[in-house]
Amino acid sequence: MKVNKLAAMLAMAGMGTVALAQSGPIRIGVVTPLTGTYAGIGEQVKWGLNLAAKEINAGGGVMGRQIELIYEDEEANPSVAVQKAEKLFQTSKVDFLTGTVNSGSTLAVGQVAERNNKLIATTVSFADSITGDKCSPNVFRVNARAGMQSAALAAWVASTKPGAQVFYLGPDYEMGRSTVAAFKAAAEGKGAKSVGELFAPLDNKDYSPFFGQIRSSKPSVIYTSVAGNDTVRLFTQMAEFGVNRNVLIVGASGTVTGQNLAAIGKAAEGFVTGVGYSTLIDSPENKKFVAAFKAENKVDPDLYGTDSYSVLFFYKAAVEKAKSTDTDKVRTAMRDLKWNTPQGVKTMRGGDHQAMQDMYAVKITNGKFDIVGRVAAADAIGPDACTKF
Amino acid sequence: MTSILEWLQLVLAPQSINGLSIGVAVVLMALGLTIIFGLLDVINMAHGECYALGAYMVVLILGMGLSFWWALVLTPLIMGLFGYVMERGLIQRVFHSKDRHTLTLLLTFGMATVLEDAIKIVFGANPQRVEAPVTGGTELLGLFFPNYRLFVMLVGGAIIVAVWLLVFRTSLGAVVRAAAYDKDMSASLGIPVSRVYALTFAFGVALAGIAGVLLAPIYSVFPTMGRDFVLIAFSVVIIGGMGSIKGAVLAGLLLTQVQSLSSLFISPVWNDTLLFGIMVVVLMWRPQGLFGKLGHA
Repeated sequence: MKVNKLAAMLAMAGMGTVALAQSGPIRIGVVTPLTGTYAGIGEQVKWGLNLAAKEINAGGGVMGRQIELIYEDEEANPSVAVQKAEKLFQTSKVDFLTGTVNSGSTLAVGQVAERNNKLIATTVSFADSITGDKCSPNVFRVNARAGMQSAALAAWVASTKPGAQVFYLGPDYEMGRSTVAAFKAAAEGKGAKSVGELFAPLDNKDYSPFFGQIRSSKPSVIYTSVAGNDTVRLFTQMAEFGVNRNVLIVGASGTVTGQNLAAIGKAAEGFVTGVGYSTLIDSPENKKFVAAFKAENKVDPDLYGTDSYSVLFFYKAAVEKAKSTDTDKVRTAMRDLKWNTPQGVKTMRGGDHQAMQDMYAVKITNGKFDIVGRVAAADAIGPDACTKF
Repeated sequence: MTSILEWLQLVLAPQSINGLSIGVAVVLMALGLTIIFGLLDVINMAHGECYALGAYMVVLILGMGLSFWWALVLTPLIMGLFGYVMERGLIQRVFHSKDRHTLTLLLTFGMATVLEDAIKIVFGANPQRVEAPVTGGTELLGLFFPNYRLFVMLVGGAIIVAVWLLVFRTSLGAVVRAAAYDKDMSASLGIPVSRVYALTFAFGVALAGIAGVLLAPIYSVFPTMGRDFVLIAFSVVIIGGMGSIKGAVLAGLLLTQVQSLSSLFISPVWNDTLLFGIMVVVLMWRPQGLFGKLGHA
């Protein structure tokens, strides 16, 4: 009996040292734009992550370890993002990395992660290629991609304006091109006619030089996927020139968000988008999340804040399932993982690392994102186009 | 034939007029830059942030319940004072050193970073909206044109002409030009050269401030607004001739026309490439730019 007790004590002491070795914080790197045109998006990312880390740490952390977030500013510039990610992996020895906004940054940082044998997840980037033809075994996406947003929006446009004449205006980089291509395919599939398309540089100051071209193609619907400050300028200038008169303006989910809505003001009214989140989603989880987010940051969460909040719970669930922070074990655990988010239960599709979720068509009414349509996860997700793993 | 006329009327003409309104804004920016360079031989890397600060002054002044017109009058005064203090307090200190070019470049570049961050701390990273004081539009030859853009062209044009007259037709302007031409001779003739320097710097900064006020309702207001805008102003100054007022005006109007008309034929993402391409060609052909320096022309 005595011997047994001693053995038990020894065993416990042994476990103690093992636990001690693993009890340092889990370091998570965040490479996100804290300055530049996407700084407002980076702010939501930060708020969402901070809230989740606070809740997880208060609840005992991940397998008893606290989460420590380490921020780096990527200025929405892929070349800066690459340097910062490299620094976080090499110097700060982070276990996991998230936060990239610009789709180009996500793709570039994904390659850095592959070289360092670490995992990253984006909570913001839309470009289909990230989980499509440029997919990576080291990259996961917890937010909805452009194709899913387009599916929801195209279904709504087809039911509201059958046979619409659509003009497309996107920012000229990965995200802009892929959102336009995705919506164009979805809308044409539902009977819409394309009357013209245009790609303006990111950070474009003045859109009025393009208005002649838009007007002369006489659209009944304008689809745009500009984001951040670019939207403020585009919408203000469209209202200034009356381009939006008798035209339905629809766009990507990142076009109008809580971050730029106030600055756009009245010009945003009536804008419709397909999106994976609205503060008005009627569920107890969402209400609790919105209240906590608001209490912490004084503003409503938008889709970025929400998905950045849920990425930590995604990582937590995977690490706890894998019982390790080892890259290969966590990757296996992440595949086909189901976890709870304010949007309901999401499933990480194993074949392309794209999260599946219900999608919504939302319309801005009196400064709020009103839900006007809903598409089930299975109908919105689209085929698995990833062939690399 | 009618389709060509229609294209001229509905596509080319508005494109060109819109380009003109951007051109006036760019010239306002470039003027301040070129005057400061022409007289002080200093490249003000913080010029874009002075422009942003001017725009934030509008936000501040409107927030105090005053009208846009107050902002238009007060901002250049505040920014002028800011420029005066910046010149006296910082630039003056390194101005007489041997490495003036390097030191002032680094100093103003540092100022730019500090100002941008200060703006972000005080006003936040999100864009702000400024309502245009003039709303509605005017129909011209079947074209719709916003009244506020017409207003910007008129006021901007008036300021450009006023600056021109001030520098070339007044005794004050003669003093500035004399100081730019030969500061030692001017000083020995009793011109307070160092005060002329400070006041000219202040004047250049005030011009950036006015540009910020006028463009705030069109481009929206956010911390990094000056960063990309100053690039085109820099190219205008280089093409027009560093320090030349005439050059800044002509190059500014010409380049914005090229940009706005070229976007009809090639993807607008080539805009900057085109701009810098023109700059390279001009520099190869005339390294000093199209026109000579202030006080030398």
